[in-house]
Amino acid sequence: MSGEKVANWINQQLEARNVSVPRERRVVAEIAPLKLVESIRMLKEMGMNNIGTITGLDLGDRFELIYHLSNDDGVLLNLKTFIARENPRIPSVTAVFPGVFFYERELMDLFGILVEGIPEGRRYPLPDDWPEGEYPLRKDWKGLSADKGVTVDGAN
Amino acid sequence: MIDKIVRWARVKSPWILHFNTGACNACDIEIVAALTPKFDLERFGAQLKGTPRHADIILCSGPVTRQIKDRLTRIYEQTPEPKFIVAVGSCACSGGVFDGCYSVMGGIDTTIPVAAYIPGCPVRPEAIIDGVIKLLEKIDTPLPSENATAQGIAIGGDRN
Amino acid sequence: MAPIKIPFGPQHPALKEPESFNLVLEGEQIIDTEVKLGYNHRGIEKACESRNITQCIYLIERICGICSHSHSTAFTKAVEEIAAIEAPPRAQYIRTIVAELERIHSHLLWLGVAAHEVGFDTLFMYAWRDREVVMDLLALITGNRINYGMNTVGGVRRDIDSGQAKQVLESIRILVERTNYYLNVAINESIFKARLSGVGKLPQETALRLGAVGPTARASGIARDIRKDDPYAAYDQVGFKVVTDEQADIFGRTMVRVYELLESYRMIRELTEGLPEGPIAVKAPRKIPAGESVSRYEAPRGENIHYVRTNGTEIPERVKVRAPTLANLASIREMAKGGFLADFPIIIAAIDPCFSCADRMIRISGDRRGELWNWEQLRDYSIKWYQQRGVDLSHMG
Repeated sequence: MSGEKVANWINQQLEARNVSVPRERRVVAEIAPLKLVESIRMLKEMGMNNIGTITGLDLGDRFELIYHLSNDDGVLLNLKTFIARENPRIPSVTAVFPGVFFYERELMDLFGILVEGIPEGRRYPLPDDWPEGEYPLRKDWKGLSADKGVTVDGAN
Repeated sequence: MIDKIVRWARVKSPWILHFNTGACNACDIEIVAALTPKFDLERFGAQLKGTPRHADIILCSGPVTRQIKDRLTRIYEQTPEPKFIVAVGSCACSGGVFDGCYSVMGGIDTTIPVAAYIPGCPVRPEAIIDGVIKLLEKIDTPLPSENATAQGIAIGGDRN
Repeated sequence: MAPIKIPFGPQHPALKEPESFNLVLEGEQIIDTEVKLGYNHRGIEKACESRNITQCIYLIERICGICSHSHSTAFTKAVEEIAAIEAPPRAQYIRTIVAELERIHSHLLWLGVAAHEVGFDTLFMYAWRDREVVMDLLALITGNRINYGMNTVGGVRRDIDSGQAKQVLESIRILVERTNYYLNVAINESIFKARLSGVGKLPQETALRLGAVGPTARASGIARDIRKDDPYAAYDQVGFKVVTDEQADIFGRTMVRVYELLESYRMIRELTEGLPEGPIAVKAPRKIPAGESVSRYEAPRGENIHYVRTNGTEIPERVKVRAPTLANLASIREMAKGGFLADFPIIIAAIDPCFSCADRMIRISGDRRGELWNWEQLRDYSIKWYQQRGVDLSHMG
């Protein structure tokens, strides 16, 4: 299925906004967080059978999450969703794509987004002794402060 | 006399442990390349071992990441004396391009004492051989009052 | 017998990054695997947000030393797409040649490591000796054996002259000969074949479900190859076929890689002979306009995804990298399940565990709660175990 066809399908089947085809084999669409899991399930049944990764972005006032889905014809869909920066949470899509486990763990560790329904597991990718409440990829994060018990050279 | 035999044995059969402390793999594959037929570090009696308990020399590659720090210390403690740590690559010497990253502590010497530094990004196998040989020469030179482990020698240029 | 949990790593004698695994064993059989990563986490994505685009290329190249060209190409491709500049054809060809040389070096490396893991050290030494032929070529073309520094926004930094092209063709001839020999070994050496067949099974539907990529997916019969699906650089101008295999085991993965080597040789020959004339780079602005782009790249290990968002300054707003290994890690649990402990190194194909030095283990009681033993407890346990069988070892130091 080509990029144009994927975009048309999304327009008809999903409650998506700002659907566009920036270039051949690239589709961009926005979706509400509440519709995320259902939309991804429908997209999977339609043929978008792989999630490449999940990108998180800190926009300052909110977080943007991009789910990169692809199909066998080389079309890559960037499915975007926006969540509030206060108390951020997003449902897990591991029920549809079990392989996204590590990508959702990254969101939890690096952005502090609570992924609801993710299976139990060890943390990834930050070290075990990483202090609580420090999320490196947030834009306002400027490094670990000394009062967290970890200084720059690692001495406690 | 006994000292002489022990030193001879130590220099002629240095067993090596290779430990990646968070490197990009480039120095690691060059370490293995140094051990394979074209460069053949084994002709000096050096052999790659699987465990720190058998090793004389630890080749550490990469900057020390926050997660690996405790494991590196543990491996250092598991290695029997005398032990010599070689920092392989610019990252292992000083942190290299990753200096300042939040999960990177810096060079190997921020965590454990280093006996030799081999800079390069990545280190060429020839430089690894050169570094190990220089270290062995250093071990071969009797230093009754000093411990070579604590001294630190730079090989093949400046640390930076 | 109660299941036993054995920690693996992070230090281990083989090649790859430090990862740690917890294996739950019942006798010799693996019943579960738990993966612990992050030993190599350096924080490159954050570091990119404080460096300019040119600095980022060299930082991103050092994500992985084995597929450094993959990462820098994927990144520059994304930046070029945002800035709406296109590298000239000659640059695209040179990028593709270096990419395929890198694939050859990576696959030969893998072949050697895999042979080493199954105890076939002769093949290990042979493969690594022949790999030096490619390393010499890469050093000749790029000036460095690893971390080539070839890419820049708008093209490549070094040209391939006619003398180098001649050397490339000559070296490829040697490699074709050697690879045919390996193919012969892999197919006809019954011990090697028996050791790999049926080990680490990953059925097609499982591979699809877990999102496997690269040779791991292709050996399970999934024809997933970005070079074909979403062509970049010069891959749409060169003929090659996507190698797949239906065996879905480690022998299949070996076959896929060896046949891919042969495809790569053909591609390099075709590209080197048909190298178009012209400049090798176009001028790129220092400040990249605001925009976003996703770039996909078929690295030796599988699909590599880079997401780049710029904000009109020299410094990128966000760089996200998904390396292929992360996508394949989810499959390891499935591959290892039901396999034997002795197969685990080759399933990971990088881990060579040493149990004599595992200084503690966790015994799992019936309710699956772990009990941590230190060295002394373990020693006492073993002395008692032998005493029950009529051997007294307690006097031994």
